[in-house]
Amino acid sequence: MNRIQFGEGACEKTRKYIDSYISNELLIETNHDVLRHIETCPSCSAEVEARTQLRNRLRSAVKSQAVPPELQVQIRERLAKPRSHSWMAASWTRGAMAAAATILVCAGVWSTWSREKLPAITDRPAQNTYIQKISASMAAVLKVGLGDHIHCAVFRKYPKTPPTVDVMEEKLGPEYKGLLPVLRASVPEGYRIVMAHQCTYNERKFVHFTMEKNGTLLSLVIARKQPGDSLEGLSASGDPAGIPIFQSSAAKYEVAGFDAGNFLAYVVSDLKSSTNLQVAENLAPGVHHFLMNTPV
Amino acid sequence: MFFSHKPVRTADFEGAAMPHLNDIYRTAARVLGNDAAANDVVQDVFLQAWKSFDQFEMGTNCRAWLFKILFHTLNHYRRKWLNIRMVKESEEILEHCTANDPPLPEHITDEEMLSALATVPEDFRSVVLLVDVEEFSYKDAAGILNVPIGTVMSRVSRGRRLLREKLAGMAQSYGIGRTQEGKSA
Repeated sequence: MNRIQFGEGACEKTRKYIDSYISNELLIETNHDVLRHIETCPSCSAEVEARTQLRNRLRSAVKSQAVPPELQVQIRERLAKPRSHSWMAASWTRGAMAAAATILVCAGVWSTWSREKLPAITDRPAQNTYIQKISASMAAVLKVGLGDHIHCAVFRKYPKTPPTVDVMEEKLGPEYKGLLPVLRASVPEGYRIVMAHQCTYNERKFVHFTMEKNGTLLSLVIARKQPGDSLEGLSASGDPAGIPIFQSSAAKYEVAGFDAGNFLAYVVSDLKSSTNLQVAENLAPGVHHFLMNTPV
Repeated sequence: MFFSHKPVRTADFEGAAMPHLNDIYRTAARVLGNDAAANDVVQDVFLQAWKSFDQFEMGTNCRAWLFKILFHTLNHYRRKWLNIRMVKESEEILEHCTANDPPLPEHITDEEMLSALATVPEDFRSVVLLVDVEEFSYKDAAGILNVPIGTVMSRVSRGRRLLREKLAGMAQSYGIGRTQEGKSA
């Protein structure tokens, strides 16, 4: 892709590059030229908005399609069929070992995060300002999960050694420690649990797990529902096993929320939109089942 | 026993491939337009992926590798069961695309969006699904579909425009939502 010189006929040239622009496939210089033009041209700006909206609506529509819950089982059965050894047993053993290993492995350096100038964990007003600023366009019910993720996972300075299973279980308490095996079974490969606890943020109680891989943070945030909390009215991005998932983004964060009886659960990360949704879809059935059987 | 001499590969496959099942299924269902057929194809994809897993290099892009197998399997499935001739739609469609940007309906349901997508010719639909829904780069999409990157670029543009035209047409025919006027520079 070559750089285009914008000048005469800028609208025509811009229209030609809008598709590559919204796909983030332009050279940085050309990207700047397109950006500069659309900032001053309402017509081209509206066209960029229309095409972006079409892409987002399409993505949301396709991702809302339910995947047959039995498909995963059918595949595992087909893979195991010609063999005498159990595929599922092997994978479970491996999953348990990997999860145990990830928990016990020592923490690395949080270079990505430490470079950012973020408010300290003790500076609540500055944190709130930061969270409000980046999440202005997000539905209030999704901000609940984002706020606790940023408060606990992003602003926190982690110890170099992650807590042991015993410590995590103690911090989660008897009613929520059963979520640890649920999480281990569905967490993406390579992620290690660096925090698992109950916490309070903005006068609301949470159960919070944070996982890390190469500086990328991923949280499962669970909040008790308060009056007025509802995901209804939002457009579902996915629906694994009949559990609608609602995803939205704010700055670099993706927030996917789902309802679980008396609770709201959120998967929050700085992963790509599709990856965050995939993680939420993998976690939702197990977490939903656990929470539906948890007394408030 | 088969797994006893390669337990690590089993574990690797479980961790690397299975998380992409939902995306593979949804793409297969949209390309085929048939959930039952998609179910069969996806099972074949994972079986094929497992058989070829020794050729997969851990740490490389497993998701793109699975999508490549998916589109290879889809081509095979079409030839075997549907007897569909792969036409060079791109060139034909290019001539039929309108020059102006059609208006976009303001309110579209998921069902309306998927209905419109189903009417977009398959080679355009596939590229739009890979780039816009699955967020693959043009380079990755080109590798998955085994076409030049320029073909991906043109099919993305044409596919998006065709989808928009279908939606605008549906809005006009069935009164879907309201439309905002298309503006041109």
